[in-house]
Amino acid sequence: MTATSESAMTTQSDTSTHLAAGNIATATPGRVTLRSLRKVYGDDKSASPAVKDVDLDIEPGEFITLLGPSGCGKTTTLRMIAGFETPTEGEIRLDDDLINKVAPNKRPMAMVFQSYALFPHLSVFNNVAYGLKLRKLPSARVTEEVETALTSMNLGPYRDRAPHQMSGGQQQRVALARALVMRPKVLLFDEPLSNLDAKLRVQMRGEIRRLQRRLGITTIFVTHDQDEAMTMSDRIVVMNVGVIEQVDTPEEIYRHPASVFVADFIGRANFLDVDVHDVTATGADVSVLGQRWTVPRHAAVDARSSVTLMVRPESVRLTPTRGRAVGGAVGRVLSSMFYGQSIEYDIETEAGNLVVSVADPHAHETFSPGDFLDVGFEAGRAWLMPVEGDQP
Amino acid sequence: MTATLLPAAADPVGASEPSPRPRRRSGRDLTLVVMVTVVALILAVIVGLPLVRILTVAFSAEGWDIVSSMLSNPVNRRILWNTIQLGVIVSLLGTAVGFVMAYAQVRLGFRGKKMLHLVSLMPIVSPPFAVATAAITLFGRNGMISNGVFGLDVNIYGLKGLVFVLTLSFFPVAYMNLKGMLESLDPSLDEAAANLGANKLKIFTSVTLPMLIPGIAGSVLLLFVESIADLANPLVLGGDYTVLASRAYLAVVGEYNVAGGAAYSLVLLLPALSVFLVQRYWVNRKNVVSVTGKPAGSPELITAPVLRIPILTVAVAVAGLVILMYGTVVFGGFVKIFGVNNEFTLDHYRFVLAGIGSDAMFTTTILALIATPIAGLLGMVIAWLVVRKLKRTSGLMDFVGMLGLSVPGTVIGIGYAIAFNTPTILGGRQWFPAVAGGSAAFGGAMAIVMVFVARSLPTGQRAGISALQQINPAIDEAATSLGASSLTTFRTVTLPLIRPALLAGLTYAFARSMTTLSPIVFITTPQTKIMTSQILSEVDSGRFGNAFAYCAILIVIVLSFIGLLNLAMLHPSIRGIQRR
Repeated sequence: MTATSESAMTTQSDTSTHLAAGNIATATPGRVTLRSLRKVYGDDKSASPAVKDVDLDIEPGEFITLLGPSGCGKTTTLRMIAGFETPTEGEIRLDDDLINKVAPNKRPMAMVFQSYALFPHLSVFNNVAYGLKLRKLPSARVTEEVETALTSMNLGPYRDRAPHQMSGGQQQRVALARALVMRPKVLLFDEPLSNLDAKLRVQMRGEIRRLQRRLGITTIFVTHDQDEAMTMSDRIVVMNVGVIEQVDTPEEIYRHPASVFVADFIGRANFLDVDVHDVTATGADVSVLGQRWTVPRHAAVDARSSVTLMVRPESVRLTPTRGRAVGGAVGRVLSSMFYGQSIEYDIETEAGNLVVSVADPHAHETFSPGDFLDVGFEAGRAWLMPVEGDQP
Repeated sequence: MTATLLPAAADPVGASEPSPRPRRRSGRDLTLVVMVTVVALILAVIVGLPLVRILTVAFSAEGWDIVSSMLSNPVNRRILWNTIQLGVIVSLLGTAVGFVMAYAQVRLGFRGKKMLHLVSLMPIVSPPFAVATAAITLFGRNGMISNGVFGLDVNIYGLKGLVFVLTLSFFPVAYMNLKGMLESLDPSLDEAAANLGANKLKIFTSVTLPMLIPGIAGSVLLLFVESIADLANPLVLGGDYTVLASRAYLAVVGEYNVAGGAAYSLVLLLPALSVFLVQRYWVNRKNVVSVTGKPAGSPELITAPVLRIPILTVAVAVAGLVILMYGTVVFGGFVKIFGVNNEFTLDHYRFVLAGIGSDAMFTTTILALIATPIAGLLGMVIAWLVVRKLKRTSGLMDFVGMLGLSVPGTVIGIGYAIAFNTPTILGGRQWFPAVAGGSAAFGGAMAIVMVFVARSLPTGQRAGISALQQINPAIDEAATSLGASSLTTFRTVTLPLIRPALLAGLTYAFARSMTTLSPIVFITTPQTKIMTSQILSEVDSGRFGNAFAYCAILIVIVLSFIGLLNLAMLHPSIRGIQRR
């Protein structure tokens, strides 16, 4: 049953999201402001906080993603915004109103849960109608709004089904419809795609993003999946051990990470030890792999700071060489892995081992373990950044 | 003592109030505060107050004399020893019988499995005297079997008889426990062990047994508490074998010595409560069998005759005994004096159904019907508060809720007599009039309903807690996020989802209310007759026929209630998916 309905859904997906466009009306999107937000679990105020000094301004209509490894505080932050956790310190504002003390059921927000949290004893229709009925809307009105929501999510035929009779993707849509029908000022997602299989996840990503664009609803999305964050967000908030590491657009975060953690967590990165010769207004002259390079730099880099050069695997360039020993520009292939759309090498160099990714492998010469190569990189896409304390 | 104990046990809200933490969610949810307060107050009145009062009396000079003579006075020492001896023997034997029945049920294939299951559960829905009275008739000095068939002069009164009757009465508790555990053992663990080279014996000793040990230990402890707390059987069958419960009863009812009753209660309370605590906080923690709620696959059935034959023999023998006992109950009600004058008569049933005995039948049923929904719902509310809403006070509320069952009925009964025979006065103000005893409001009926609720609430609470723990808390949060308050969430989401637990809670509440005796004998009044205590007086006066008829009618009432309840729950308006 799951197999057929999900394949059916694949073919419907495009129409469904087009339909969703005009039909579900929304409230004015809300602006969410977090100020010095802090959360300590338990009674011990000195215990290490789950969330520490978080400041964030979320614009009306923005799609913002809280991204980080498990335990980084992203879900706690989301749950404080939803009202399920009370901040230990700090402020949460919705359109300038302080809402720290507002009960979760009184906040004009709707949440889509990781487990979907559909009410198993209620039909699809009654799941979506649940919140509207609590608002004491006349039943004709409830029916109308629920029908509209179900139709626009292509769930019309399933209105009388029980949640457990539906596939994961359909349950996900019901959860989404149930949240959207409330016309929330802010839509909250707690890792909503992590229970779907890989293909469906990619498809739902696109659907949610398109829907959010059309409705213009302020959306806060929690995930640990960097692909989700990169493809869906207007801005990404990268969190680690309770603090915000960086808030920026996906592209900026990828190209110009604020810290080694961000560089490492978003995409993959090689970190090279370099000698800094000169720091200019926008970049720096460095030498590594037997050459001098002019590379862009993080604003905090100065002549005295301890730095590292980030080079993404796809900006490394490999060319055959006559060299027969590792040193200077010459490196040696340790291993190679074939991915189909790309091939990946582990290269030993004097600056350490590098991960190198070459796209479209058959358009290039391929190398074998033991081959010696000249190793270089696209200097304009490297990034010189400071190294903080204990990080690599 | 009173001042420090009562508020703590009574008011979980108050208990946590001193903490100035801003993170308490309840602070913002008025309905929740109201619910917690109401539940806490109810618990304080139906469990907290009687316990506090009995402790105060036990620790008074008069009571303490008896408590402190427990080991020095040879008579009291004997009573204490008798109690422990009885508890140990019955708990071991009952668990063994329960294990055999459960093992046969889960791991053997034979015809009549369902029948065996029903027979194993029979003692749960029957009043405490049914087995004892039948045992006297069959195996007593003039017993139909012992004397009539074998010509023996058996003295069934005393330890032997008590062990026999209590084992038959209480093994179902162990049976249910161990059956659930055997069923949830994952067969893939057996397969993994076999795959690593273990033979059947090795699998049993190295995998199955270690996983069952917490369950077996839990059953032993549970049966220990049940058997030392039992009052009905020692009264009927004890003879000169006195245990703490019957001694406390004698003190209060025979000697009008309330302080003495309280003192023996305290001594009874200590082992009962400590075993309860060990059971909850130690055994449950050691429990490694993961109950996921998902069927773990069907275990391989045992076919080896070496195991099959002895296990089935024991199981069939036990089932035969149970059937024999209840057969005696049913038939005994229809003859003049069973075994002596086997002439058919309807006198006994006429007495119970239409004669002076019918009073007790109606009163008991009505009071049990009042108590059942209160206990069932209260159990669910407590479960919900404990699992979902309360944080640091949840353990306390859970514990206090369970007290009604973990504290021996005798102790509760004496506590009620002390606490409620006079108007409750606190801080110079009368809060409510006397609710128990001869001069009480509603002829003492209110105290009886309160006892019924206190005694039967814990089973529903347990069932509710384990049901709720299986439900993802995000479902509650989803309702909240859609605008539902705590009360609305409980009503529209939680309660429908834990319906099976509610059903179990209601079933047990009714069965327990109808069959409970130990707390009732201390608070019945001439205006409010309760069946179990009427049975006791019939047995005492040797009118076994009336007692049998009472027992049979009582069982019929309980079974019909369970049947009707299950039918009602099948109705589409209560059951299943709510569409449109």
